Amino acid sequence: MTQLQSAERRIKWSYMDHWRSNGPAGPVDQWHTVKTMSAFLKQIKATGFDAIDTFDFRIWQMYGTYGGPAKYQEMVQDHGLERIVNTFHAADYDTRTYAPHLPETHENILEDFRVTMGRWSEIELDNIIVMPATLYYDMEPVTEDKLKHTADLWNKVGEITAGYGVRLTCHHEFFCGIQSEQDIDAFYSFTDPEYVSLFVDTAQHCIAGLDPVALYNRHAHRVSGFHFKDTRNVATGDDHRHRPDSEIMAPTTGKWFYEMGTSHGLVDFEAMMTAVRDNAYEGWISVEHDKANKEGGDYSESTAISRWYAANVLERIYS
Amino acid sequence: MSGITWAYAINQWKPQFDDFVRREQHERALKTMSIAGFRGVELTTGTGRWEPLGNPEQLVANFGSLAGFRSFLDDCAIDRVSSWFWNSQERSMEHLTGPLSPLQETDLPVMVERAGWYAEALAELGGSVLVVRPTPDAGDVPPLDDDAIGRLATCWQAVGRRTAEHGIRTALHVDFLSGLRRGDALDRLLDRTDPDLVGLAVDTGELAVAGIDPVGLIRTHAARVQHVQLKDALAVDVAEEYLQPHAHWTVRVQGGAQEVPRWFAEPGAEGGLVDATGVVRALVDIDYAGWVVVESDPSPHPAESALLAGYLVQRELDPIATGSAATAGA
Repeated sequence: MTQLQSAERRIKWSYMDHWRSNGPAGPVDQWHTVKTMSAFLKQIKATGFDAIDTFDFRIWQMYGTYGGPAKYQEMVQDHGLERIVNTFHAADYDTRTYAPHLPETHENILEDFRVTMGRWSEIELDNIIVMPATLYYDMEPVTEDKLKHTADLWNKVGEITAGYGVRLTCHHEFFCGIQSEQDIDAFYSFTDPEYVSLFVDTAQHCIAGLDPVALYNRHAHRVSGFHFKDTRNVATGDDHRHRPDSEIMAPTTGKWFYEMGTSHGLVDFEAMMTAVRDNAYEGWISVEHDKANKEGGDYSESTAISRWYAANVLERIYS
Repeated sequence: MSGITWAYAINQWKPQFDDFVRREQHERALKTMSIAGFRGVELTTGTGRWEPLGNPEQLVANFGSLAGFRSFLDDCAIDRVSSWFWNSQERSMEHLTGPLSPLQETDLPVMVERAGWYAEALAELGGSVLVVRPTPDAGDVPPLDDDAIGRLATCWQAVGRRTAEHGIRTALHVDFLSGLRRGDALDRLLDRTDPDLVGLAVDTGELAVAGIDPVGLIRTHAARVQHVQLKDALAVDVAEEYLQPHAHWTVRVQGGAQEVPRWFAEPGAEGGLVDATGVVRALVDIDYAGWVVVESDPSPHPAESALLAGYLVQRELDPIATGSAATAGA
């Protein structure tokens, strides 16, 4: 192997841990058993990833099966991976209790993060990633006041996470309340760069009709990470506000997300990597292809293809 | 430095004749092998338009030329074709010929010509070994007496001579249904062939199903080992069902009396019977220099099998091969 050692590289690759494999009773995720977790980690390592990202809600399985995040991370490291880099806080947004544009729910959200950060404090994370707004249809019409209330919340949350040495970063799903170029730009103008960062998901922005490269270049100083994933479709009509769900139930599109390196992908990853280089970004790029198993897809294969693309195309641009 | 170079066998991606025919599928399989750390790909011969990678004529039809296919491999970051597995007992639609038997003296000229066809192409694709099926299944022919062994030796000597003209070695692949599994037939055949022309392809999974220790075979026949296929075995043919007629269907495909759903898997699979690290240690001990082709043969989940095998090779087997096992860590 001629790859540079991890410590010498400006870019390292983490895998966002969506996964399905086939168990004897049907599809399972990697958390099903210790064996399925080991098989998952082996495959991530075999393709050359350096680390993994995970989800907040997995912490219960980390405690229940492995003895906590630190013990689980030891298992990750036993498989040759460096560590857990980021966690995604997948909240159950609800306008009654948990909605960033509604100030009356803020204390509940703040308390959630005080508790959450304590749970993760035994390991070192770079980012805790959030979708910064509710589902679009629960926030519309998106007004300046709602954006300011939302920004106010995340400034406070970012202060809490910073106290644990973890950056609060925002990931704008195409179906969330802050997904248009105008609203994203306004949101970052209302947030404090010290406490709120942007996490660029190439596919989500592309689906929302934005150029992810242009968005990144405009906010590069705020960017603390990436999800490199692809799509073959741009949202049309009410795709972004389809009730009850846009992500897997939009009538127009059965599968929004594809692995980087897929054929007919809309994201220009070479331009994206060139921008990463030109902005002198150093650190982790996360690769994601959630729902890869939809419509006959295979997580193992998608992971291999995406990492192949990173190794054989993107690392020649910047590594 | 290790004399071992790692390849992966394409056959696990094609469970049925109408599967795995499209270019994108080939591309994704080859990229999967590549990123898992395998440098070469072993092809399996096949015939007709739904076997795009099955023979030189189909490669040219699909890729414009052999060089075109080589370029396709380059684009997928696969260095070369390591080897081609050729079963002469399958018909050729390209040549309008039926099964060719190495026991039939009348088939010999066509066998030699066909081996030369594959070897010439294989050389252009960067390969080095034509892996051959040396005899029909044990249950379909009488026990291999000295006369039969003599005919086999004549055939494979001639084939080996022809492939050597292209710099390609001929290696006999003993599968678990092979007539060479019976008694000392393999030893007698090796004794009657020239080591410079005819070698042995050690398939660890096939041997394990046959109840033969592959590590022992490697050490016993060290000078003849010219190719290795590393796969695991999940069951043993304990009742010697390989002696039944038509065992290819009743035993290999249907699982025999044990109703074995899957005889083989990628090395290191749960319940596997092959000591993969022992195999590699034995290869190092005999100073083996050549391809080790990892297989699953077949797999219900080919990409998963390739990646799990890649992990095993990267983390355990290659460090043994390169002598860095003691210091190999995360």
